[in-house]
Amino acid sequence: MATTEPRPAATQKRYRTLAVVKQEAITRVEKQLEDSVFVWPHLLVREFMAAALMTVVLLVVSLVVDAPLRAHSDPNLTPNPAKAPWYFLGLQEQLHYFPPTVAGVLLPGFTLVGLALLPYVDRNPSRAFEDRKLSISLFTIYAIFFAVTVLAGSFFRGSGWQWVWPWQHIYFDL
Amino acid sequence: MSTMNRGLLDRAGSYITSSQAWRSIFRHGYPDTPLNQSLVMMGNVFLHLHPVKVSRKAMKITYTWCLGGLSFFLFLVLTITGVFLMFYFVPEARVAYNNIQQIQSAVAFGNLVRNMHRWAAHLMVVTVTLHMIRVFYHGAYKPPREFNWVIGVTLFLTTLLLSFTGYLLPWDQIGYWAITVGSNMASYAPLLGAQAHNTLTGQPVGVGGPTLIRFYTLHVIGLPLAGAILMAVHFWRIRKDGGEAGPPPPARREIEQARAREMEVASLS
Ligand code: HEM
Repeated sequence: MATTEPRPAATQKRYRTLAVVKQEAITRVEKQLEDSVFVWPHLLVREFMAAALMTVVLLVVSLVVDAPLRAHSDPNLTPNPAKAPWYFLGLQEQLHYFPPTVAGVLLPGFTLVGLALLPYVDRNPSRAFEDRKLSISLFTIYAIFFAVTVLAGSFFRGSGWQWVWPWQHIYFDL
Repeated sequence: MSTMNRGLLDRAGSYITSSQAWRSIFRHGYPDTPLNQSLVMMGNVFLHLHPVKVSRKAMKITYTWCLGGLSFFLFLVLTITGVFLMFYFVPEARVAYNNIQQIQSAVAFGNLVRNMHRWAAHLMVVTVTLHMIRVFYHGAYKPPREFNWVIGVTLFLTTLLLSFTGYLLPWDQIGYWAITVGSNMASYAPLLGAQAHNTLTGQPVGVGGPTLIRFYTLHVIGLPLAGAILMAVHFWRIRKDGGEAGPPPPARREIEQARAREMEVASLS
């Protein structure tokens, strides 16, 4: 019977997805040619050099400076001051100005959530510095606030979280 | 004499590169022609994180400062040195400190590897933070890259937690009290403070044996696994969002000025 025979290939309609090319993709078919170079060798050479340089720096530092190891931990011997790791010393410093719930939880929480929401809150489409004065100022102020509190907590705080100048004594471990 | 050697080397070379074994591994010739330069990028699973070609402007060192790439490289260094340290370290409060002392004094290259692990970890916190800052100033978080920025924020948090959990492991006064101070911050959370502290440290007050095993497990498997998966998504998204954003385009004012100038020229002619 005719119906059980396979239909001739020419009239058969089968589709294969070879590629879906999105409008703004780098592989866009009708995109005008931009000034581009081959990744092999141009980018790979740069990546290799960066990795090699980093390896050398890390090796030299590790040969010269030993990682610290203090006395065995002792729950009954609280060092004064007891400091968090350096990247949390901004928060510890802020604990000195704000109530604990604000400095310990709300500020870091707000910072992380705020950072994650940034692209959805900042609706300004332009990427030029000149058009982004507000967002750049706010971010810069916030970043400086964190940098300054990290530095203060790291190098300017001593026993009882009292202000100490670095040339008097530095209470800081890495 | 030298020409005969050269001839022998050439023949040995072409014998190897035309052998079945070689050609089963490398399915193309040496990448010095456009075709082979494309095939090598598409046929190698590691290289194919990259496109075949990149825009010259986005590739400039002064655009990325290599910060994302260096963060990734430091992550690899930390994985390798970390596996080495795992051979000798037992996360048990009575022996952990002793293990670190032995790594420093009795294990071949132990001190060097411990130093590299420590300094690379601090450095990675720095490079990841600077990478985030540079992405912000370039406005490279704007559409279509919004979600990759969000992935980035989770990577930032993962990096901090990796460093924080590792800091406790030597079980000396530095780590012990730094983690005590840090985890006390969690107990300031409204309503859930006690639970947050308990979840983090495995005990109601302070830091102890249960904290060590918790931090160790997170440090050697939980967080690196999360980080590796997030990085895979991060790199994939860079490609899918059209590659590097590249230096910011001209400002609105400059575009308008250029348009005004064009109009003027057009009206004159
Ligand atoms: C473990 C941490 C991270 C690694 C290994 C990593 C890796 C990379 C790499 C290799 C690039 C390519 C360009 C470059 O090197 O700058 C990149 C781009 C990007 N990263 Fe990250 N990154 C990390 C964390 C972050 C963070 C914390 C953010 C932001 C919150 C972020 C957001 C982005 C964005 C939006 C791009 C695209 C930038 C552009 O198109 O210019 N990444 N990342």
